[in-house]
Amino acid sequence: MENNILVIGAGITGIEASILLANAGKHVYLVEKSPIIGGNIIKFEHVFPNFECATCLVSPRQQEVLQNSNIELLLLSEVKKVTGKPGAFSVKIKKQARYVDMENCIGCGACYDVCPVKIPNEYEENLMQRFAIYVPYSGSLPNVPAIDTENCIRFAGEECNACQESCMFEAINYDEKDEELDLKVDAIIVSTGFQQHKPVAKYGWGTIDDVYNAFEFERIFASNGPTTGEIKKKDGSEPKSIAIIHCVGRDENKYCSAVCCINSLKFIHYLKEKIEDIKITNFYRDLCLPGKKYDKFAGDMKSLGTDFIRSDDIEISSGDKSILVNYMNGDAKKQLPADMVILSSSIEPQKDNNDLAKVLGIELDSFGFFQESDPDFGTETSTRDGIYIAGCAQAPKDIQNCVTQAQSAVEKALFQFNLK
Amino acid sequence: MKERIGIFLCECGPNIAEKIDLDKVKEALEHLPNVVIVARHKLFCSLQGKEFLKESIKENNLTRFVIAACSPKQHELTFMIVAEDAGMNPHLFQMANIREQCAWIIEDKDEATKKAILYIKAAYKRVIYHESLDKKEIVANPDVLVIGGGIAGIEASLALAGPDRKVYLIEKTESLGGKIKEFDEVFISFKNGQSIIDERLERIEKEDNIETRLQAEVIDVKGFLGNFIVIVKTGDSEEKIQVGAIIVAIGFELINLSQLKGYGSLDCDDIYTGLEFEKMKKEGKITTKSGSVPKSVGIIHCIGRNEVGYCSGVCCLSSIKFSKYIQDKLPGTNIFEFYRDLTLPDKAYQKFYENIENKGVNFIQADDIKIANEKGLKIKYNKNKSTQPVDMIILSPAYVPAKDSNSLAEMLRIPRDDSGFFTEEHPKLAPVNTSAEGIFIIGCAQGPKSIKDSISQAHAAAGKILASIIPGKKLEPEVRISYINEAFCIGCQKCLNTCNYGAIYFDNLKFISIVNEVLCHGCGNCIASCNSSAIQLKHFKDIQMHQEIIEILR
Amino acid sequence: MLKKVTANSKPRSSFNNGKFMPKSSVKKGNPKIEEDFFPKIVAFCCNWCTYGAADLAGTSKFTMPPSISVVKVMCSSRVDPVQVLESFLRGADGVLIAGCHPGDCHYDNGNYYTRRRFALLNEVVQSLGLENDRLQLSWISASEAKKYQQTVTDFTEKIKKLGRNPLWVKSEI
Ligand SMILES: Cc1cc2nc3c(=O)[nH]c(=O)nc-3n(C[C@H](O)[C@H](O)[C@H](O)COP(=O)(O)OP(=O)(O)OC[C@H]3O[C@@H](n4cnc5c(N)ncnc54)[C@H](O)[C@@H]3O)c2cc1C
Ligand code: SF4
Ligand code: SF4
Ligand code: SF4
Ligand code: FES
Repeated sequence: MENNILVIGAGITGIEASILLANAGKHVYLVEKSPIIGGNIIKFEHVFPNFECATCLVSPRQQEVLQNSNIELLLLSEVKKVTGKPGAFSVKIKKQARYVDMENCIGCGACYDVCPVKIPNEYEENLMQRFAIYVPYSGSLPNVPAIDTENCIRFAGEECNACQESCMFEAINYDEKDEELDLKVDAIIVSTGFQQHKPVAKYGWGTIDDVYNAFEFERIFASNGPTTGEIKKKDGSEPKSIAIIHCVGRDENKYCSAVCCINSLKFIHYLKEKIEDIKITNFYRDLCLPGKKYDKFAGDMKSLGTDFIRSDDIEISSGDKSILVNYMNGDAKKQLPADMVILSSSIEPQKDNNDLAKVLGIELDSFGFFQESDPDFGTETSTRDGIYIAGCAQAPKDIQNCVTQAQSAVEKALFQFNLK
Repeated sequence: MKERIGIFLCECGPNIAEKIDLDKVKEALEHLPNVVIVARHKLFCSLQGKEFLKESIKENNLTRFVIAACSPKQHELTFMIVAEDAGMNPHLFQMANIREQCAWIIEDKDEATKKAILYIKAAYKRVIYHESLDKKEIVANPDVLVIGGGIAGIEASLALAGPDRKVYLIEKTESLGGKIKEFDEVFISFKNGQSIIDERLERIEKEDNIETRLQAEVIDVKGFLGNFIVIVKTGDSEEKIQVGAIIVAIGFELINLSQLKGYGSLDCDDIYTGLEFEKMKKEGKITTKSGSVPKSVGIIHCIGRNEVGYCSGVCCLSSIKFSKYIQDKLPGTNIFEFYRDLTLPDKAYQKFYENIENKGVNFIQADDIKIANEKGLKIKYNKNKSTQPVDMIILSPAYVPAKDSNSLAEMLRIPRDDSGFFTEEHPKLAPVNTSAEGIFIIGCAQGPKSIKDSISQAHAAAGKILASIIPGKKLEPEVRISYINEAFCIGCQKCLNTCNYGAIYFDNLKFISIVNEVLCHGCGNCIASCNSSAIQLKHFKDIQMHQEIIEILR
Repeated sequence: MLKKVTANSKPRSSFNNGKFMPKSSVKKGNPKIEEDFFPKIVAFCCNWCTYGAADLAGTSKFTMPPSISVVKVMCSSRVDPVQVLESFLRGADGVLIAGCHPGDCHYDNGNYYTRRRFALLNEVVQSLGLENDRLQLSWISASEAKKYQQTVTDFTEKIKKLGRNPLWVKSEI
């Protein structure tokens, strides 16, 4: 009698869907590629428009996922094959070995310090380092490390068992093997989210110091991030002026990501909170503030003191003493110096959407997001029966709409079983 | 019965054992009254640890226990399950967090040990006053009342109705369908609004479990999640409907143009609001009042945005749709769109805009727009610096809450924002819930939005209901909640307004306040509002806090 | 991209054994030797934010003075002024009430009540003959482990300067 549902991706959307399904008495397989749950939202210190602390927002939900006996969490896992039909899908999952036992590990962290490998931490936008045995962020959940075999020297043939020796709980097992799991599920919800756009060369990202994209800046501001929340330039000094560039990637992607303007405004608050007299300039195209809350939010942020310049054709170059923002204002070519630049880069489809779409037998739209069955009347149904899509996997949107879609997708999955 | 209390000390591998002298701790606790066992284990959360705990509880016939280990956030649930397995009420134990709050943060071992003893003693004193809290089961009515028969209300009704669940759909006007039945095409699928509605009406027709009331109004609501009693008035007759949940989908209206100042003459001929223009298009002819075909049309966005204080999020798109209407119907017409900030918040919108622009619509970024009627309509903008004469003007006015929002809010006891729309329980995590459990808000009743987002919300609310009020299943509310001691309550009713969830109601017969078990979230806010100390929060009773405070201050 | 590792973002594990301890925190060794007064502080922490911050401070191994005793409440609004006064009467040298930032309360608006009660309490505390500084309200979110450490440490320092709770001294005689 029990129905099984597969949820792919454990960001806020997948978490919401899983908990709701579990509460409805369904058995959920929650498949997540990374070693932790929470997705992109846990990168943020605060979320707009109320500046709620993102950790406070999601950690109770994360705990719920970890503790709910109806949810079977499959971390470091990917869906490899799907056959069958709604009500009877067969799914093949590849689950990579974590090499750390989730039951035995208590998350003490003794194993990190002894690991000889130090590499950039991609979860921290490479702004700090991690070890080959690692948890992505401090405080991330589940608080159990994983061994990254690509960088662990033992897996490269060298002799090292430092972490195993350091673990008092015998949680580390180098012999753990990757597994293949065969699941039978009735329905599938795809909530694989998005990735951040990589700014093109003219923005100087990666080539000019102190030019950061939005995620990098979120981590710099984060109290559990690389600078424990201090906003500093690379040389250690405090920036006196900052430029926030909206719509980075919009021309390349040909759509508006719906959240970047509001998020850029949030940065004004971030900056003023830490450096009161910092000069902030927003370079925007159209301020996109849809919804009952955001004009007021924008007003509040503007009152903190910031300039707005409607501009086009932005290019970042490095000047003698500072960074230069070159832009078109109407027909005039202008320039503004800034100590630091934040690029509000857009929401992009995950690069492996294509592979997943093939595995699932569903279609992508021209941008690479999952294609909905109807753009007005069926945004949570995919092009295949029994497979639902939600959150930024379907289109860029804010958290509120992600959660709404998650709940909506759950309804559609339940509807499928006529469980009204 | 004499209490038999156990105290368990977790070593957490070396984590606690190395930082705290557990032998000393044990010594300090052994002689406490009623303590029958003080035991340590290497790792209580491990399989062996849990087994050991379970056996110790059984062997020693423990009535309560304290476990000194990590943060309760990590393992309280783990040990609750063990307690239950051992045949004990899961609320009869207390955790002392000696890892995160002693071992890991206090450098000096002696200090850490002292501190641990204080915390454990406090937990011991506290646990004596724990009560066994039993799960409550409450019968819930699975039926649902949907107020408002627009697209959101219709979608929610269709999603919910079924053999075990009746839906009552209440519509104020004489027909279902709301605004979209007037739209010849809806963006972004460009389907016909009327046929969208007709298709759904047919399904409603066939669905025995949807009862529609047209020209009807809700006039009274009582009760709470699972058990609402609603009085609906249809014509002259009143009926009582019992449901377990209520969905509010009363939509929106456009701001009244007569309220707007500063736009010049808005009441001349050939100026239409979006809704009026939709009607015109549906009827099939776009003409000026004199019957001629307009050669030029001005479309003005953001009418009333400053006045209402928000962006409705949809008007840019519907304005661009009007350009499409005109291009399709009257190719060659000069079209001018006056916008402030183009708001295109979805993947498909920009392309639509670009298509329309490429076909020759003039998009003009303009501030300070005024309409003048001097030898024909003129649109003046950018502080009168520029002027554009046109034959027809279409306004995109801001969305405002439906007329009945206020009275419904009072009846349902749900809050509204500054903007006047109903307030969601949480702007991120609970967008369709309200602070009153069992009452949901969807579509433009919650805030201005597109059809697609209204429909998502409709299904979201349906999803929440399907997952929580399951026919044949009882509700299991939170047990660590407040209760009011009848003997102490003086009936001042101060607590009623303090509760964010409307969980306290007043019993007029007994003249005391009562906490509704289903609605209370257990925050404890009401306690300090009561001058008579009549309110107690289970598991956080005054006596428990009191004991804890005394002990940690020793 | 490695170049972006800035001077102050030294590689560190998530658990850095207190390397990031702020200067103001209590030094190693027995505090009693430095000063013979060792304050007792009650910290009421809400379950959803500040208690979480305290947990993260623990897992991050941020060292803190042992002066603080945490009392968990579900929401800062559960802190009844009576309990604060009781703490002072029982000898607490300081009382910290800590919860979610305004707007962040897990129960939506509980901490606004806390804020109001705190304002009223301040006056009562004064009328008892206690310094206002002995009572503090702080907003600390679950990710702000460092702020938690800082708050606890600074508050301890402050109370140390104020000395023992005069009410308690009296009752001792
Ligand atoms: C000119 C214009 C064009 C638009 N074009 C598009 C478009 O192309 N694409 C798009 O996505 N969006 C468009 N929109 C937005 C779209 O109209 C809304 O998103 C959608 O209609 C919201 O649906 P709803 O059910 O929430 O509200 P509504 O459609 O307003 O339905 C509410 C229903 O509730 C009823 N009601 C009200 N009060 C009560 C009460 N007290 N008791 C009982 N019943 C009550 C009403 O009579 C109505 O039937 C447009 C809006 C406008 C103004
Ligand atoms: S693997 Fe072992 S050493 Fe590493 S965190 Fe887990 S328990 Fe600690
Ligand atoms: S505040 Fe106290 S006394 Fe007054 S009504 Fe509420 S419970 Fe009764
Ligand atoms: S504990 Fe909180 S939710 Fe419960 S009645 Fe009191 S104020 Fe309301
Ligand atoms: S829950 Fe933290 S202050 Fe209310």
